[in-house]
Amino acid sequence: MVSNAIDSQLHLPQALRLPAELTIYTVGELHPQWLTWLQQQDEAPDSAARALDASAVEQADAAGVQLLLALHSALQQRGCAMQLLEPAQPLLEACAAIGLDDWATALSGPPTTHPTEMAA
Amino acid sequence: MSKSPNADLDFIAETLPIFVSEAQEQIESFEQLMLQLEDQPDDPELLGALFRCAHTVKGSAGVFGLDAVVAFTHHVETLLDRLREGHVALTPALGTLLLQGNDEIRALVGAATALQASEGTDRIAQREALVLRLQQASGLVAAAEPQPKADEPAALAAAGDAAAGWHVSVRFGDDTFRNGMDPGAILNYLRGIGEVRALRCNVQAVPPLDQIDPENCHLAFELELHGDADRASVESAFAFVRDDCELELTPLGDVRAGITPNSASDGAFADEQTEEVANSMGDAARALLAHLEGAAAAVPAASAGSAGAAIPARGTAASAGVAPPKPAGSDENRFIRVHADRLDAVINLLGELVIAGAGATLLARQTRQRGLLEANLQIARLIEEIRNGTLQLRMVPIGETFVRFRRVVRDTAAELGKDVALEITGAEAEMDKAVVERIADPLMHLVRNALDHGLETAADRLAAGKPAQGKLTLAARHESGAIVISIVDDGRGIQRSKVLQRAWDRGLLERGVVPPDDEVLNLIFEPGFSTAEAVTNLSGRGVGMDVVRRNIQALRGSVSLHSVEGQGSRIEIRLPLTLAIIDGFLIGVGNSRFVFPLDAVVEVIEGRDSVSRTDAQGRSVIELRGRPLPVVSLRALYALDGPEPERSSVVVLQQGSGKRFGVRVDQLLGQHQTVIKPLGRLLSSLRGMAGSSILGNGDVALIFDVAELGLLACEASKTVDIPSPARPDLINSHHQHPTQALTAEGTPL
Repeated sequence: MVSNAIDSQLHLPQALRLPAELTIYTVGELHPQWLTWLQQQDEAPDSAARALDASAVEQADAAGVQLLLALHSALQQRGCAMQLLEPAQPLLEACAAIGLDDWATALSGPPTTHPTEMAA
Repeated sequence: MSKSPNADLDFIAETLPIFVSEAQEQIESFEQLMLQLEDQPDDPELLGALFRCAHTVKGSAGVFGLDAVVAFTHHVETLLDRLREGHVALTPALGTLLLQGNDEIRALVGAATALQASEGTDRIAQREALVLRLQQASGLVAAAEPQPKADEPAALAAAGDAAAGWHVSVRFGDDTFRNGMDPGAILNYLRGIGEVRALRCNVQAVPPLDQIDPENCHLAFELELHGDADRASVESAFAFVRDDCELELTPLGDVRAGITPNSASDGAFADEQTEEVANSMGDAARALLAHLEGAAAAVPAASAGSAGAAIPARGTAASAGVAPPKPAGSDENRFIRVHADRLDAVINLLGELVIAGAGATLLARQTRQRGLLEANLQIARLIEEIRNGTLQLRMVPIGETFVRFRRVVRDTAAELGKDVALEITGAEAEMDKAVVERIADPLMHLVRNALDHGLETAADRLAAGKPAQGKLTLAARHESGAIVISIVDDGRGIQRSKVLQRAWDRGLLERGVVPPDDEVLNLIFEPGFSTAEAVTNLSGRGVGMDVVRRNIQALRGSVSLHSVEGQGSRIEIRLPLTLAIIDGFLIGVGNSRFVFPLDAVVEVIEGRDSVSRTDAQGRSVIELRGRPLPVVSLRALYALDGPEPERSSVVVLQQGSGKRFGVRVDQLLGQHQTVIKPLGRLLSSLRGMAGSSILGNGDVALIFDVAELGLLACEASKTVDIPSPARPDLINSHHQHPTQALTAEGTPL
């Protein structure tokens, strides 16, 4: 089931681009957008990892990370892996603050359908 | 906090009773909601309401430093929260557990008023066991690291707060984000006061994207904080979210192998810790309250959750006369809590006003001035309206009493292995609070009786061709100035032959005498009667029904029983709406004035000669429409002075059971608004009297207890050969009168 990083690069046009601000002030409007994106993913092949472009994030807080967790959980339910591409420092810091640094690191590595089994 | 400790103590002493009464209401509604939830397990609103009940009790208990209540309620709340979020499903066992939890909260709140010295270790161990079950049900014990209940080695306990660190378990409330709080920032703050290790975010608690409300916080963490930070400083990190987050602190190195909740020593240690946790929780709640009150303006967009907890606390401050900084705009403010004594004082004064008004009207009539008379009539009408309005203040829906029986029926039926549905109708019918309170016990007895003796087991019911589930109905309705409460079951009914046999055996009835059907059934209200073949622990101790009837009669009410064998029984209790004022019928004998309750008066007949000789107590019999009517002469019975008038009248009265008798009086003075005043102790032994009243002209009138007076009258006629079969109350009489002659002459037909 493990696909390689090159594969996911090919899916890049489909990647969800995370906004500059991923905080409590934006999660409300991001939620419906992400849901739409999530539904589009149902048409893509199951085995492929879904990529998030996290390079533009300038501000993030626990509410934003929580929304990412929710997205991850929804993708897992669909049998999909999630990959964070080039996570920006503010996002990594927000994850680290709530003890999710391992999670963020695992997602930024090569994609897998079972990220929890990955050694960071 | 700016208040001095003394001011705090005063505040608590003044407002504690208010808290207790409010908490009891919350506990009461918790129970009702819980029972409703069992019928509609999927109703999120019910769960939300349940959660709020527990949360409110916990919040205000914290303000009062009732640490045991806070600590225990917290566990109930946690379980509810798990239910609400769908992590745990509601099962009957869980329902019972929550109800038991609620009972425990009730007991703890009750103990708060009775300056409890120390609880027995048994009680503490019981509570510990309950806490453990609650935690297990929440699914928290298995998953999580040690809870604060952990038994602490004695050495460590001595070390107290100076532990090597803390295990912190925190679940942030839904509104954390909306309140502008960031768990990440809080955790970063923790990093400033110690070394955070093993931080674990409970990712599973976050719902998937298609189910999440992105602005709700679902984050929960477990972490170890190493360092010498004391409990208070760790908690201070959570001060701003303390109101709706769940925080548990356990000293590190406090890993327990297993719990033995029944061990007394374990319980004692655990309790110490609970106290400690709860203490600081109480402090935090107090600090929060101060914060909320001080900075209410600074946090205008207070969330529903935190506002919900703050409002009751502010409400208590307001009732104690402490000016609250900000009025809460909730529905609760439409009610004003009034001390019952003040209300009683007003009603007492109103009684005086009614009397004074009657006096003024009397004087106005004597002056024969039209203007004065009209003004007086106007005043009288207003007084009447005020009277009705004021009495209305004491009126509460009978439903408050009825709903308590849901629990009784549920538990009792389960205990007896029966399947019973309780139906409640007319719960909105209102009656005087005093009556409602005093009817609860007799009702309880009757309901238990119906469950125990009336309704059959499912197997018996099926065998009798009935649906397996028994039906018990509690109904209330208004009926001509009285309220009628009925308890109806569709059980096996009452076997007349058995009742009769028992009455013969017990000597309540002469062997072989068979009274009319409806009277046979009412024999079960006689003292010392019980048909239960096996005495169960629920009812059937044989002290029941006569006490029930006596209690109801003490409320100037009556009780009757109808039953069809094999189809069920119906017990009807008829009660006056209020105990304070009655419509009376004023009569005079000589110079004395008496009042009969108007609803007992059936008719008045002009003086008629007795068909029997009058005995020494003034008792005789007259003929009324071909039937004998026992009549008692008040003049003779109470040895009243004054000459016998030329004409006398007989007031025909009806007792609760439908039996009639007459009272011979001199004058009929008509209907009279009567304010009942209790008789002094000297007069309370007077037979046949229920109370006294003061008339407009200042005279005192005695108010009759019709049932008691009826007994006197009936005793007089007991040896008269009444055509209907012998009546139990006559045969049971203790009085023997030399009425041979009366028997001979008095046979009317």
